Amino acid sequence: MRQLGELEAEIMHRLWAWGRPATARDVLADINKQRPLAYSTVKTVADILHRKGMLTRHKEGRAWVYTPTCTRQQYTASQMQDALEDNPDPAGALASFVERISPAEADALRSALRAVKRRSAE
Amino acid sequence: MITAVALAGYAALVGATVPPLLARSQWLHRAPAVAVLAWQALMVTFVIATALSVHHLALAGHHAHEGLVGLLIACGLGAHTSHADGASHTFGDALALAAPALIVLLPVGWLIRCAWRARRVRRRQLDMLTLVGEPAPEYGATIVDYDVPAVYCLSGRRSRVVVTRAALEALTEEQLRAVLEHERAHIAGRHHMLKVLVDAFSHAFRGLPLARYAKEQTDLLLEMIADDRALRFHSPEALATAMYEVAAGRAPQAALGAGGSGVLIRLRRVLTPQPRPHRAAWLGIVAATVTAPMLPLLAACGP
Repeated sequence: MRQLGELEAEIMHRLWAWGRPATARDVLADINKQRPLAYSTVKTVADILHRKGMLTRHKEGRAWVYTPTCTRQQYTASQMQDALEDNPDPAGALASFVERISPAEADALRSALRAVKRRSAE
Repeated sequence: MITAVALAGYAALVGATVPPLLARSQWLHRAPAVAVLAWQALMVTFVIATALSVHHLALAGHHAHEGLVGLLIACGLGAHTSHADGASHTFGDALALAAPALIVLLPVGWLIRCAWRARRVRRRQLDMLTLVGEPAPEYGATIVDYDVPAVYCLSGRRSRVVVTRAALEALTEEQLRAVLEHERAHIAGRHHMLKVLVDAFSHAFRGLPLARYAKEQTDLLLEMIADDRALRFHSPEALATAMYEVAAGRAPQAALGAGGSGVLIRLRRVLTPQPRPHRAAWLGIVAATVTAPMLPLLAACGP
């Protein structure tokens, strides 16, 4: 399971870095520079990513060409927003260091902090 | 019948009267671990008292002398006692067992649901971390390139501490290490399990004051436990400044409940440490915590 996730990451990293559509064979050629891997494996994982909505694909000649549906930044932002902003702490799955606060509370925090620093400076 | 009323009164006391009083006692913040235990005990007590009360009510409404059987069943003794006058009593007996069972099964059902949901969120986060997380072994954390400061942890079998790039930039080395210690305390203490318990209870008994207070207070108290852990190795200033830097850097929450945030309470607590409660007080809370869930059992099973 984890291995699959790492392969997915390898493929996404390359497509994000290249910034252009690519075939499974392009990706395989690049991975093969570091280690041997079967074409069918790359193809299967690319299709999984397509099913997950991470890649779109269209046919060029006889080969499928894959394109990321969003940039790395967009993907990170949407996932982080999901985790931190929209539904904070669903059933305690994530323990956030501090929760979101209002501007007034930020002011209160700052003055409480300043008061102590002044006291310790005296 | 008197037993049923007494138990219901006890459940009301535990479910509605005690929670706001306990939430207001600031001294509980000086012994957060015991306080967490106390809230858990209140929840267990409420479930036991309500279930037994309903059980006795069903028995009383059904037939007076059935009460004896009910008592035995409640004590786990007389489940198989035979009845002389069979069929007409079967429905009442079934109700007397099914109603309290429902009250116990309700939070259990929610517990399964909440745990499942938390698992799904954690999975999705782990998937994201595999894709875009950069391991930072020097911190024992994973860094995510995101422009809002945030630090959080994923508990469970594959636990992770996640730090965003913005948090990394906002915090000094000392502050960051304090925050990481705080997050590791959550993981080591398995705080996510307590959170999921409280979450299940608050869903199962929505609207009950105990449900709301227990969730709000347990969340805050667990943060305090983690703060205390970080303070063992790091200065109060480092931790408090980190709280401010991370909280202030996040998008402001326009409409937050009037209760205010726990961060301010935590920050003040970190900066002005107070002595732990006296040993006698501490023992008192523990004793009450252990006794409270026993009382309804004694009332139901006693002579």
